[in-house]
Amino acid sequence: MTDENENRPQQPEGDQPRAFDPALASPIIDAAPGRVGTRALATVAALPAPVAQPIVAPVGDTGHVWRTRLAYFFLIGYALLMFVPFAWTVITSFKTLEDSVRLTLIPQPFTTAAWDYALFQLHPNVAQMFFNSFIVAIAVTLTNVVLGSVAGYAFARLRFPGRNFLFLLVLATLMIPDQLRMLPIYIITNALGLGKGPLQLASIVLVLAISATSVFLLRQYFLTIPKDLEEAARIDGASHWTTFLRVMLPLASPAIAAVTILQFQGTWNGFFWPFVLIRDQALWTLPLGLTQFRLVGGFGTNWPPLMATVVMATLPILVLYMFFQRYFVEGIAASGVKG
Amino acid sequence: MTAASGTRPSKVVQKRVGGRQEALAGYALIAVPMLLFLVLNIGSILYAAFISVWRWNVRTGPQQFLGLDNYVNALKDPIFQSAVTNTIYYTVIWVPLTMALGLFLAVIVNQKIRGKTFFRGAFYFPSIASSAAISTIWIFILNPFGLFNEVRGVLGLNPVFSLLGYEANQDWLGDYHTAMNGVIILNAWTTSGTFMIFYLASLQAIPHEVYEAAAIDGAGAWDTFRRVTFPLLRPGHFFVATVGIIGGLQLFDQAVQIGNVDGAPANSLMTLVLYLYNAAFKRVQYGYAAAIGVVLFVIIFSATLIQRRIFEGREPTTA
Repeated sequence: MTDENENRPQQPEGDQPRAFDPALASPIIDAAPGRVGTRALATVAALPAPVAQPIVAPVGDTGHVWRTRLAYFFLIGYALLMFVPFAWTVITSFKTLEDSVRLTLIPQPFTTAAWDYALFQLHPNVAQMFFNSFIVAIAVTLTNVVLGSVAGYAFARLRFPGRNFLFLLVLATLMIPDQLRMLPIYIITNALGLGKGPLQLASIVLVLAISATSVFLLRQYFLTIPKDLEEAARIDGASHWTTFLRVMLPLASPAIAAVTILQFQGTWNGFFWPFVLIRDQALWTLPLGLTQFRLVGGFGTNWPPLMATVVMATLPILVLYMFFQRYFVEGIAASGVKG
Repeated sequence: MTAASGTRPSKVVQKRVGGRQEALAGYALIAVPMLLFLVLNIGSILYAAFISVWRWNVRTGPQQFLGLDNYVNALKDPIFQSAVTNTIYYTVIWVPLTMALGLFLAVIVNQKIRGKTFFRGAFYFPSIASSAAISTIWIFILNPFGLFNEVRGVLGLNPVFSLLGYEANQDWLGDYHTAMNGVIILNAWTTSGTFMIFYLASLQAIPHEVYEAAAIDGAGAWDTFRRVTFPLLRPGHFFVATVGIIGGLQLFDQAVQIGNVDGAPANSLMTLVLYLYNAAFKRVQYGYAAAIGVVLFVIIFSATLIQRRIFEGREPTTA
């Protein structure tokens, strides 16, 4: 959360180079095909114009000072409101059960028993669930980067009959709520034999393997890369595939980073598909485990280990957020908001 | 460079061959992703529509053609009706509340103040955590002996709450009077930062000169906001409201995390999507569940279209 990690869409006054900002890539607007009802396109409408000016400071001295104080009062108060629940979570994870219902900031006694219990003794333990979440998130991220960049490149750069129609079809899938797909996908994955054993994790990967958001983000970025570079490679006799792999892909690394963060975070946090597709307890991901422990696992009010699990479920994303804050913001701008 | 000399084929032929190659390369590259989109998205909705007109046997598939019976039964089902009511109640309260919070935060954070990067990061922070983590935290905080009840006791706010009819150990998420409102506040807390980001983007799209003109006309801060900023944020309002309504109508995670698959307590957290899940996997009525899914899709789709109509009149930035 340093100044270097300035959120993207609220473009600061400075003119530091932009790594990647789909919001500011003008071809998005040029290429937006009509009025397709997709979130991605709606985003474009709402995103900032390339040159954003700071708002004029209000005039009038005393009023200004007073307003600034009031603003800080709200800012600090709201920031506290954001942090206190998380801080309380961390504190509670080092408490005993009896101590966890007391309003004390320092655990007495300070104990790591809850962590020990959650990490190693639960079934499945947090380490196992962490592993499950990680495998699924990595796999989904990889497939999205690979499939998203090949499709994004094809839609951006190669001419073939039906290209626009197929791209519209991809965007239209953003309008389909996951819930409508729930039953068919459940039936299809079972028919494919993905309903048993570790393959249940594969069924999640299959469902999330490619999202229209990934294709869209990468396509928009490929559109911004000057054609000359590609043409130079083509004149040297490179095939489309080589041009893509050697020239275009390396240039698209900022977009690939955005897709990576977006997909990793989304899958790591994902609840719906694991809830629908995973039946074996040993395969629970962290969000699924957190919920199931409370609902069916019988420790609904054993707060300290639950809070330790919450910390473990949030920590990787927090670390990513601190280092790559701006990609998170691009991600939400592109994909809308979770329900 | 060798091809550039002497006997190369005519440009037209070369172009045609190149074009064919290019098209083949294009199809090859989109083949796998397109297959997945077609089967798992387009195929899925067609399949769901198909299932919805049958009595469906879990093992053998279609059993008896029912036509629209599943739909008719859904509309007559009291739990379905309360799921619709709950979902609409949630959306109607949560969307404007979160929009107001997001806009308020965006306007404050957009001013020239120190540490605004920090505040933006802080406000957006809850949006990055998983719904399961957030729900668990809030179940802990709002339990009868949780942080919230303790703190209001210490602050001496209990008389105020008892005037409103709440005891010192009110079980906020376990009492059907307050559970849905608890979820609304919980989700407003999580999402206000996201809406702030959206509003910041559209705030910064408002041209500088507009504010200068307002200042010359002697407009105060409130008047400027009400008569200049707010109306000019129209595309932003549209976008945030659309995203919010689509998300609101699909409320599922928090409902099931707090109220399990029955939307406890007393169906107060039974939402449309949760009822769809319930019908499919608890009562194992696939045809019926699929019909609910189609109804949900139609509701979401029409909500988006209606909104588009409403905002269409004066919407300068879209094509």
